[in-house]
Amino acid sequence: MSARLAAILRSSLRLLSAAIACSACVALMCALFGVGSVSAQQQKALASPTCATCHAGVANSFRSAPMRHAMEPDGANTLLATHPDLTVKLGAYTYTVQTRNGHSTYSVTDGTDTLSLPIHWIFGQHTQTWVLEKDGHFYESLVSYFPRENALATTPGDQRITPHTVEEAMGRRLPIWETRVCFDCHATGVGNRLDVVKITPGLECEHCHTGSQQHMADAARDNFKTLPPSLKHLDAEQISTFCGRCHRTFDTVMRNRWHGPAFVRFQPYRMALSKCFVGNDPRIACTACHNPHQTLNHSAAYYDSKCLACHGEAKTAAAANNLQTAKTCPVAKSNCASCHMPKVELPGGHAQFTDHFIRVVKPGKIYPE
Amino acid sequence: MALPSFPNPAASARVLIVLSLLFAPWFAPARQSSSQFADIAARAAAARDQQNLPLAIDLYKQAEQVNPSWQEGWWYLGVLQYSSNQYPGAIDAFSHLLQLAPTAVPAMALRGLCEFETGAYDSALRDLDEAVAHGAANEPRNEQIIRFHLALLLAHASRFEDALAQYTALAHLHAEAPDLFVAIGLAGTRSTAFPADISATDRAFYESAGRAGYVFLSGDDEQADRLFTALFAQYPARLGLHFYYGYLLFPHDPSMAGDQFREELALKPTTETQALLALTLIYEGHFSEALEPAQAAYSADPNLHIAQVALGRALAETGDMKRGTELLTGAVQRDPNDLEAHLGLASIYSRTGNREEEARERKACRDLAK
Repeated sequence: MSARLAAILRSSLRLLSAAIACSACVALMCALFGVGSVSAQQQKALASPTCATCHAGVANSFRSAPMRHAMEPDGANTLLATHPDLTVKLGAYTYTVQTRNGHSTYSVTDGTDTLSLPIHWIFGQHTQTWVLEKDGHFYESLVSYFPRENALATTPGDQRITPHTVEEAMGRRLPIWETRVCFDCHATGVGNRLDVVKITPGLECEHCHTGSQQHMADAARDNFKTLPPSLKHLDAEQISTFCGRCHRTFDTVMRNRWHGPAFVRFQPYRMALSKCFVGNDPRIACTACHNPHQTLNHSAAYYDSKCLACHGEAKTAAAANNLQTAKTCPVAKSNCASCHMPKVELPGGHAQFTDHFIRVVKPGKIYPE
Repeated sequence: MALPSFPNPAASARVLIVLSLLFAPWFAPARQSSSQFADIAARAAAARDQQNLPLAIDLYKQAEQVNPSWQEGWWYLGVLQYSSNQYPGAIDAFSHLLQLAPTAVPAMALRGLCEFETGAYDSALRDLDEAVAHGAANEPRNEQIIRFHLALLLAHASRFEDALAQYTALAHLHAEAPDLFVAIGLAGTRSTAFPADISATDRAFYESAGRAGYVFLSGDDEQADRLFTALFAQYPARLGLHFYYGYLLFPHDPSMAGDQFREELALKPTTETQALLALTLIYEGHFSEALEPAQAAYSADPNLHIAQVALGRALAETGDMKRGTELLTGAVQRDPNDLEAHLGLASIYSRTGNREEEARERKACRDLAK
């Protein structure tokens, strides 16, 4: 970036900061006249910039992105608000999730004993599992909400548990590391030791753009030297590693010796198995198809264009970038993913998941690993 | 050295005597059955049944002089001498038996225990290692004594990871005992000493450290975390303690383990700790941060395999593909079954567009992960 351009940008930011400060003053005045008093904390909040101050477009679209809602706090979840009385009977135990006045309560009873706990942490935007706290221990709820059935059922992976008490029926006690890892991928500010008081539910900018808080603070003082590490120059393999910290990499699956369709949900791992995946080709990177700052695109045509970037007949664009072209499909030119990325039923997950192992699927062939 | 009080060897020997009947299939029938031999053998058995061990030992010795191919006689001679703390004689008896019946795994295990008592630690380790590999610890009544002694010997031979694997099995058996805790504490903090060799002052520390490790290995991570936290407060400058907890945490959560390795390095930098810290950072995808500890570990000890792998991966992921490839290829040549080295090579070949090599390395990873 030239020095002149940098100077223009800094000048623009100062103007923007001034405008924000004015807005803050107006808001402050309104607040003063409207309710009579504004706390010091509110004043500070009004004056403090956010990521959206400068990155309004991306910050705005990220508000509705799935990762922003990877976890939601009590009272912020529309699904529970619109399903105020969920119940299911599993074996000897009856589970209810009741929502009243924005607060949800998870209960389990065997008809004699009943255990009720408040839901503070809601994991997942569609399928939901709740992490519960009892006597200082964390538990994964033994039942989850599944949108396909619009009902509660056993949490995936917990089918093997046979509870003998309401406490055992309530949830699976989580080891300290599993709790930390769950929160680390579904919330911001977890670090190497979980302190639930310090976390922010869902993924904020800082989660992926490490150092953005510092950058924001420094930028407010006209210092633009402390930029978060750029992610723009990562190659496809590095992006897989980056996204795979939560979505799980090939390395992670191999190290843990995970096998079977339950792990189809780990896209970077499945993608690495694909013949067309190669780490130095940006057309196969996670971000070639998915913009993490936006809602998930469900249009088949959108993904067709991504496949055709390599497998299309018009090779000029690829050739111009010194990128290899690949065979064209002899069967179809649309709906590529429906054949080459088949949906796999997630065991116990009450949902199907797109297999990111891109391949020519042979009829009747078992789930490949 | 004195035999640790856990588990009771005499009781275990009695169990083994009872169990000897279960191992009857490998007792080949006596080829020579003169009336003289039959008479001595019968009297030996009677003395054994009457718990008259000195007489029984003497009679079995006489019987073996008459018929040295009598496997059952060597077995009882070994067991009875082991029960009477006559370890060299027992070793000799079990050795005769193993010459006649090389697959007599219980004899191998008992010879290992006897060798342990005579201080022949290399031979003891070889025998117990092989006996466990062939199922000697599958019998619940023998498992504790065999695994405990094997673990002691493994730690004594600086094979701490293998020792902790044996202690994990004992923790799952709920085999609580102060000597076991001391032994776990020693192995966890990378000490090659036997529990009987440490001072009374140090014993309290090792017992507490071992108890924390035992609780962790038993699966109560929260209680273990509290115990370790208390230990760190009580022994802030004690070397090896943070490494020990980090090592236990590593398979579960590299991030938490990394913190412990950093704490250990702040007390005293060691090559192994640096290499493990580098590896935790690699697991988390923090390759730039892994570079410094990996380089320090490899510079200090180029023969340390994990240091070579960590440095190779860290270099490759931060731009030096050539040197990274050299180090990781060398690691694979040294140990073709090293998953971590194959993962590093797969990443390199992917990032450099070498599809065939990438496919080969990924297949190697999948095969190793089966």
